[in-house]
Amino acid sequence: MITIEHLKKMKDQAVVANIGHFDNEIQVDKLNNLSGVKRVNIKPQLDKYVFPDGRELFLLAEGRLVNLGCATGHPSFVMSNSFSNQTLAALDLWKNRSVYKPAVYVLPKKLDEEVARLHLEKIGVKLTKLSKDQADYLGVPVEGPFKPEHYRY
Amino acid sequence: MSTATLTPKSARNRGPKAGDYKVKDLALAELGRKEIEIAEKEMPGLMAIREKYAKDKPLAGVRVTGSLHMTIQTAVLIETFVDLGADVRWASCNIFSTQDQAAAAIAAAGIPVFAWKGESLEEYWDCTWKAIVNPEGKGPQLVIDDGGDVTLFLHKGYELEEGDGWVNTPSSSHEEKVIKELLKKIHKENPYIFHELVKEWKGVAEETTTGVHRLYRLQEQAKLLVPAFNVNDSVTKSKFDNLYGCRHSLVDGLNRALDVMISGKVAVVCGYGDVGKGSAQSLRGQGARVIITEIDPINALQAAMEGYEVTTVEDTLGTRT
Repeated sequence: MITIEHLKKMKDQAVVANIGHFDNEIQVDKLNNLSGVKRVNIKPQLDKYVFPDGRELFLLAEGRLVNLGCATGHPSFVMSNSFSNQTLAALDLWKNRSVYKPAVYVLPKKLDEEVARLHLEKIGVKLTKLSKDQADYLGVPVEGPFKPEHYRY
Repeated sequence: MSTATLTPKSARNRGPKAGDYKVKDLALAELGRKEIEIAEKEMPGLMAIREKYAKDKPLAGVRVTGSLHMTIQTAVLIETFVDLGADVRWASCNIFSTQDQAAAAIAAAGIPVFAWKGESLEEYWDCTWKAIVNPEGKGPQLVIDDGGDVTLFLHKGYELEEGDGWVNTPSSSHEEKVIKELLKKIHKENPYIFHELVKEWKGVAEETTTGVHRLYRLQEQAKLLVPAFNVNDSVTKSKFDNLYGCRHSLVDGLNRALDVMISGKVAVVCGYGDVGKGSAQSLRGQGARVIITEIDPINALQAAMEGYEVTTVEDTLGTRT
C-alpha cells in the first residue's frame, strides 16, 4: 500500500497510479485531507497535488484503476479469453444448477485449453499434434488435457 | 465462418427500452456500434461461442445481471449472452471505467444498461441496484461479477433481513457508508426483497482476483448463498488478461493521462503477481528503470531473477531527489 507517509516523501513531479481493482491501495482520502496540500484538477481523472514546499505530485484516476480510468482498459483479443471463460462458466452454472452446491468452483482444464485453442488461428499459430505413441509415453490423451491439475504454466 | 446463426447487425438496434436504461448520451451509439464491430473481429473466442450455441439458446429467458466495466469488449460479451438467449441487465463495476459510446450502443440495442464514465459512488450503487432488479421486481438468475459488488450487495441484503447489524456499524470508507444507506433504504421499503431475490439466484461467475478472495471468504464462513465460478483462476484468464492486458494498458493509461516520457525514469511497481509482472514489463518496455516491491519471497525471487531491483517502498523514497 502507498501510505500518506510515502506520498509526503515522494520527489517533485512523481506520478502515482493504481492498477488494482479497488481504490484501497493508495491513501487518497488522507492526501485530500492533508493540511497545506493543494489539489488542482488538470482534467478528468488527472489531479496535481501541490505540497507546501512547492513539490508537485500527480495522481491518476483518483487512485482507481488507471488503465480503465485514463485509457480504455485491456484490448479485445486478451479480453476475448477472459470473457470466453465467463460465458462458459455461466453456461455450466445454468446447465448444472440443480447439481452444484453453494461453493467455489473452477472451470475444468479441458475448457481452459479450448479457450486458448479458439484464439490460435487468429494470430497464425500452428499447433503440433501429439502422436499416439508420444501421448502414451507422456500418459496424456492425444486431445488433452495435457497438464496435471497442479501444473502452474 | 458462417454467420447464419448469429443475430444480424440490423436486428441489434431495436431502440432503447423506455425508462429502463441510464447512459451519458444515446447519440454516441453509432460510434459505439462501429467500435463493437471492430472488437468482434478481435474476439474469436466469444464469436466461436456465439456460433456454437446461438441456435440452441441454452440461456433462453435466463435473467443475467452483469457488473463489469462497461467497455467495448464488455459490449461484445453482453451481446454474446443476448445471442445465447439471456435477458441481460448491466452496470459497470467502477465509477470511471465505462466507455460512454459502448454503454450507448448497448442501450440502443434495447438492453437495460446503467453506466456512465464519472459516476458518484451514490450513483454507482444505484446503478448496481437497477441492474439487479428489473421493472417487474425480479432479480438475476445468474450474476456476472467483477470485483464481487453484486454478490456482496445480495449477501449483505440477505444478512440484514436475517437480523445482521452490519448496516449500523461505523464505516471505514465513504463507499461503505453509501452501501449501508442504500441497503437500509431498500429494507425499509421491502423488508423481504433480498430473500425473494436469492430464491431464484442460481449462481455467480466472478472475473477478478479481489472478487474471488471475497467468494472464498464467504465459503469459509459458510455464508455463500449460491454456487460460484472462480473465472479469474482459469489459466487463460489470469495468465493472459492480468499479465498481457496490463502490459498493454498500463502505459496507455499513463500516456493518455500525462504523456510524460517514461523512458529513463525510475518506476516502482508494488507487487509482482500477474498484474505486477505485466505492469513491470510494460514500463521496462518503455525504457523505465523498474524497481519491484514484494511481501512474498517467491515473487520477490522471481522479480530479482528477471533482473529487477527488489526493495521496499521506503527505500525508494528520498534517495533520488
